[in-house]
Amino acid sequence: MKVSRLFGLAIAVMMLLSLGLAPALAQCDGEEIELEFMNWWGAHREALMDTLIGHFEAENPCIKVINQVQPWDNRAELLATAAASSNPPGIIMSTRPETYQFALSGLIIPIDAFVEAEGTDISVFYEGEIGLQYWNGELYGLPMPTAGLISPLYFYNKNMLRDAGFDPENPPQTWQELEEVARALTVADAMGVEVLGTNLGSNGDAFVFWLYTNNGRYSSDDGRTLLFNSPEGVETLEWMVNFTNEINGGVENMTDFFQDTNFSQGDHPFFDDTVAILHLNSAAFGHLNNVAPDLYWDTDSWGVMIRPYNGDNPDAKHTGVTGYNFVGAWAYTIPAAHPPEKQAAAYKFAEFIGVHEHGGCEFLFAQNRPSPVKACNENPEYYEQNPYWDKVKEALATDTPVQITPVQGQLAEILTNSVEEAFFGVKSAEDALNDAHAEMQALLDEFWAEFDADNM
Amino acid sequence: MQASLKSKHVQHDATRKVRLQEWWFRNRALIGYAFIFPWFAGFIIFDAMPFIYNLYLSFTDYQIGTVSTPPWIGLDNYTEIFTEDKLFGKSMYNTLYYLGYSVPLRLIFAFFIALILNLRVRGMELYRTLFYVPTVVPLVAATVIFAGFLNTRYGFLNQFLVLIGAAPVRWLSSPDAIKPSLILLSLWGFGAQMIIFLAGLQSIPDDLYEAAAIDGGTGWHRLFYITVPLMTPTIFFNLLMGLIGGFQVFEQVFILIGTHGGPLQAGLVYMLHVYNKAFRDFEFGYAAALSVILFLIIFVLTILLVYTSNRWVFYGDAQDDET
Repeated sequence: MKVSRLFGLAIAVMMLLSLGLAPALAQCDGEEIELEFMNWWGAHREALMDTLIGHFEAENPCIKVINQVQPWDNRAELLATAAASSNPPGIIMSTRPETYQFALSGLIIPIDAFVEAEGTDISVFYEGEIGLQYWNGELYGLPMPTAGLISPLYFYNKNMLRDAGFDPENPPQTWQELEEVARALTVADAMGVEVLGTNLGSNGDAFVFWLYTNNGRYSSDDGRTLLFNSPEGVETLEWMVNFTNEINGGVENMTDFFQDTNFSQGDHPFFDDTVAILHLNSAAFGHLNNVAPDLYWDTDSWGVMIRPYNGDNPDAKHTGVTGYNFVGAWAYTIPAAHPPEKQAAAYKFAEFIGVHEHGGCEFLFAQNRPSPVKACNENPEYYEQNPYWDKVKEALATDTPVQITPVQGQLAEILTNSVEEAFFGVKSAEDALNDAHAEMQALLDEFWAEFDADNM
Repeated sequence: MQASLKSKHVQHDATRKVRLQEWWFRNRALIGYAFIFPWFAGFIIFDAMPFIYNLYLSFTDYQIGTVSTPPWIGLDNYTEIFTEDKLFGKSMYNTLYYLGYSVPLRLIFAFFIALILNLRVRGMELYRTLFYVPTVVPLVAATVIFAGFLNTRYGFLNQFLVLIGAAPVRWLSSPDAIKPSLILLSLWGFGAQMIIFLAGLQSIPDDLYEAAAIDGGTGWHRLFYITVPLMTPTIFFNLLMGLIGGFQVFEQVFILIGTHGGPLQAGLVYMLHVYNKAFRDFEFGYAAALSVILFLIIFVLTILLVYTSNRWVFYGDAQDDET
């Protein structure tokens, strides 16, 4: 009797297992399509992406996705050469400025027809997230991860604040409080900075991030006029330069301090208690959990707060910036060079990443970071997985989209050069911004003139 | 009878050999062409055709994604380079600065080491190998190692400077130190020039040094009146190669300071500017025009150098024979 019961149980288990494995063992009846997936989900995310691909292939047995994780160095060049080649990858992970650039050049296709044909419900995305993926009225990709949370968060070391006499549960909320903490904590010698309060950054991206916390703006809503050299802009850059020179001993100290360091590898001053406040994007949660899990769960040691604003400006408030630079507003775009069946397969995968429960939703949850799909972020388990989930949601609400164009790469480079000139004392903050504005606006006007002529 | 047959056979062989020689002589040009064909084909496919295509592209507005014939814009790219492109002047200045120091320094350094390695001491083969080892280290690896050496706080160079009481240098973060850092890095690959110098030194006949010694010449006399004059063809060759290579410096700068060119773009060399225009801004036609300008500069400089070499390069008695 016992034997027969055991036998029956074994049969039942096997049937259940076979039911569970059924999708995984599904066979392709037609022709198999190989989809090279060019992406930058390196470090611990590669295994997570492999899992996502496994789920997708189980549901789509005729599509084989090859996970091609790329190195971060020279990312833009790798992407450009791959996209422009006669045999590009099947699907490409690109940032918003690149998506616009490729769209303008005809290298990628709009996906509106696929969205309609497949009945994809794009209303599941936050409007601000999906909105960033439109160029000239056409949709070019589905977002994942969020474009938001690139700029508004900072991570801080509670022990360092506590030791310096500050309340670790009330970290700096304004520029002025940030200065106070940084002055108290920064230790420098002839060789540079030994212990750092915080680094404000010294390139164009950093300037734009701080600009929005002083109620400034980068460009007009239609993207045709640049506005960053406003009095708020000049005040912001002056503050950044003075802070860096007076507290950190100059911009060279900052380059040296962070030289050869890598947060995602755990080789970073943050893990040695030598930097108190670090402005990071939401990917840092996953990296921290991956490289230092003990520290991740020790919330007495570190905390998260929203980027400080100018306390002297009554109109300023906590504000994040989305879709401005090359580290945000990722989407999965489909090259024009491929035959329709491969493009259709690429869309199926893009849709899976974007809206499927086992796609971006699970993938981002595993990294403790938010999703561009509203429903995914309502998962109550986020509060257990991410000790600062409340702050994440609060920061996400501060994000403001920036209007850009396909020439954003060139504009950002000019702005960075001018901001550097201010940091190195070659020009005053005002002159640097005005010169950059003149050069950038001329380039932008030229772009719009050509664009308008082509679209008459 | 047998001797007669053998003689006929030998005669027949000799006739065949003569005929083969005659055929060879008559068709010597054809045979010569057959031998150089692989190189020539490679030159046409991999050098001449891309060069001509690049020249054509430089007169077009070829951008990424241009699928049909790129629009012909004549000299617009060249006009923009000379009238509007601020980074053209900056990158050219940076490159000339780099060349002005790195080429002579590397020549002097390689020549000096070659002189030492030409001495007759025990174990010289080992020393020669050791000095050549850096040259076989891949450039990427060498540059990464150098980046560690140049680290302001932990790098070997600054640790050494502090040890001797000097102020540390911000090798990679200060606009003033970027170019010297690149020049320092350029010395790393001196081995190839050193080997050529060493070969040149070993071809100088000993009797010239012996004659100088009998006439009471000192070591300096031997160096400046025998070695250096007889080495001028080798110096000329290394100088020419150094200049051509120096104008095209790219990989080490790209790895060490990235495409931006370091703080204030103090390390933005010419090829980095070409690269940025092509692969960051996707203006391939413009980048092609920049490449053509670089080619012309190198071409003119090479012609000038070859032309002036008659005045300072010593090729033995060839000129005397002609006169």
